[in-house]
Amino acid sequence: MARPPQQRSAAQRGATRQAHSAKQKPVWRAQGFDFKLYLRQHQAFLIESLTRLLGHPLASAMTIMVIAISLSLPGGLFVLLKNVQSVTDRWEQQSVISLYLFSQLEDTEALSLSHQLSSRADVLSVEYISKEEGLRYFEQSSGYEQIMSTLPENPLPIVLKVIPKAIVDLNTLPDLQALRDHLQSLPQVEYAQLDAEWLQRLATMISFGERFVYAISALLVIAVLLIVGNTIRMAVESRRDEVLVMKLVGATNSYIRRPFLYMGFWFGVLGGLFASICILMLSWWVSSPAEQLIELYHAGFELQSFNAVEIIMCLTISAVIGVIGSWVAVSRHIRDIELQ
Amino acid sequence: MEIEFQRVGKKYESGHDALSQVSFHLRQGEMAFLTGHSGAGKSTLMKLIMMIERQTTGTILVDGVDLRTLGKHAIPYHRRRVGVVFQNHQLLFDRSVFHNVALPLQVSGADDDQTGKRVRAALDKVGLLGKEKLNPMALSGGEQQRIGIARAVVNKPQLLLADEPTGNLDPRLSAEIMNLFQEFNRVGVTVMVASHDLALVARMRHRVLTLNQGRMVNDGGFA
Repeated sequence: MARPPQQRSAAQRGATRQAHSAKQKPVWRAQGFDFKLYLRQHQAFLIESLTRLLGHPLASAMTIMVIAISLSLPGGLFVLLKNVQSVTDRWEQQSVISLYLFSQLEDTEALSLSHQLSSRADVLSVEYISKEEGLRYFEQSSGYEQIMSTLPENPLPIVLKVIPKAIVDLNTLPDLQALRDHLQSLPQVEYAQLDAEWLQRLATMISFGERFVYAISALLVIAVLLIVGNTIRMAVESRRDEVLVMKLVGATNSYIRRPFLYMGFWFGVLGGLFASICILMLSWWVSSPAEQLIELYHAGFELQSFNAVEIIMCLTISAVIGVIGSWVAVSRHIRDIELQ
Repeated sequence: MEIEFQRVGKKYESGHDALSQVSFHLRQGEMAFLTGHSGAGKSTLMKLIMMIERQTTGTILVDGVDLRTLGKHAIPYHRRRVGVVFQNHQLLFDRSVFHNVALPLQVSGADDDQTGKRVRAALDKVGLLGKEKLNPMALSGGEQQRIGIARAVVNKPQLLLADEPTGNLDPRLSAEIMNLFQEFNRVGVTVMVASHDLALVARMRHRVLTLNQGRMVNDGGFA
């Protein structure tokens, strides 16, 4: 069983000798591409680089925590923003234009106006609230029953609740305001109120908040890139001899780069993991006062934290940042380390 | 592997002429020594073959292929066909003898099975089979040099280059190392050894190339 390989290698030698004598261009690259082998190599690098990371626990932990803290700030702001948006989402759907009609208007006139308005293209529906319904509603909700009953007659006007087709957000707000102004100009309407004007202020604040989060995130992503890049650069430097020997025995630059890219990957993943943990702990810590606060204004609100999808996204993004950071550092540095 | 230098010159950026008008032809399966004072250009010549440096003038043919036609990306594949024993760039002390020798195989993507067999075969040839699990630090200077040789031959290269492989060794160990090179040459590997140990070179009775201030002053006879 030991013979055939020897024979084959002898035959190969013969073949190469023939090739040489024929002055053929030799084959510089290994023929064929073994995908399984490629995967196995990557797996080995993945494990090896993690082992290396854990081999210097203190230094690695410090880098990972710096990354985690840098990422948890934009992550935390993202969660805050998400909660504010979820509050505004609820309010958006409730937005209506209330038309208070002149009190001397007859029911039939009001009804025909209601039909007329509901056939408009930009109106979804119109709710007709008669004087009596308005009174009942007012009595139920306000607790002013006694006072109302002392009044000689129902002082409430007929109200048409116009629900516009457009969902209220910052983009549709001007249209809605135009619609309100138009309705205000109708002769039957005493007063038209768009209950979304406060939204403009909030929406402006949110878009300001969003930009703030983006700017902070961009800065901190750059910080993480630099941290990873610098750590990897030092790792390459500390393995300079190894890089030189590998170049000498015919390692391609991409082969030399690979363990360092995996190291960047691990820094990113672990940094992202700890950032997620920080954010979860932070939102747990603020959840009870925050819920109490919001309950004062709006019932049925639940504080949202990082969900599973967002944690995976956080890990992915930080892994990508880690790989990019190490790529930039390692590519430059490996080129600089040349045999002399 | 055969190597042909045609009026090769190498001028460093500092302006120093390391080699000028060097021509020689090393045939497939031949063994030759390269001698000369330190600074005569021995290392530069070997670096040109390894494509660590590029020549400034002239032509270097390896198996008939002009090295100037090889781009950056071809260099690693070129180096895999050449085994080198350089004085610096030696062993890595963060891993065992086995893993030092296995490096060229790992780099070219050999599988574990093949790697194990080849590394043991190479260590067997240099007489270090029992020490594969040790750290190179625990071995003597002569043994470390032999690990370097095992690493150079583990890939079954067609050309073996050695730059002062006996530099720090006593005469007996030096002779042993030279005999090893001779054995590899006997199985068809082209061998080139740079050495300033003229007495040792003379005893080996092979072709001798002598460099003096970057010029080839002697080619052929024994030193």
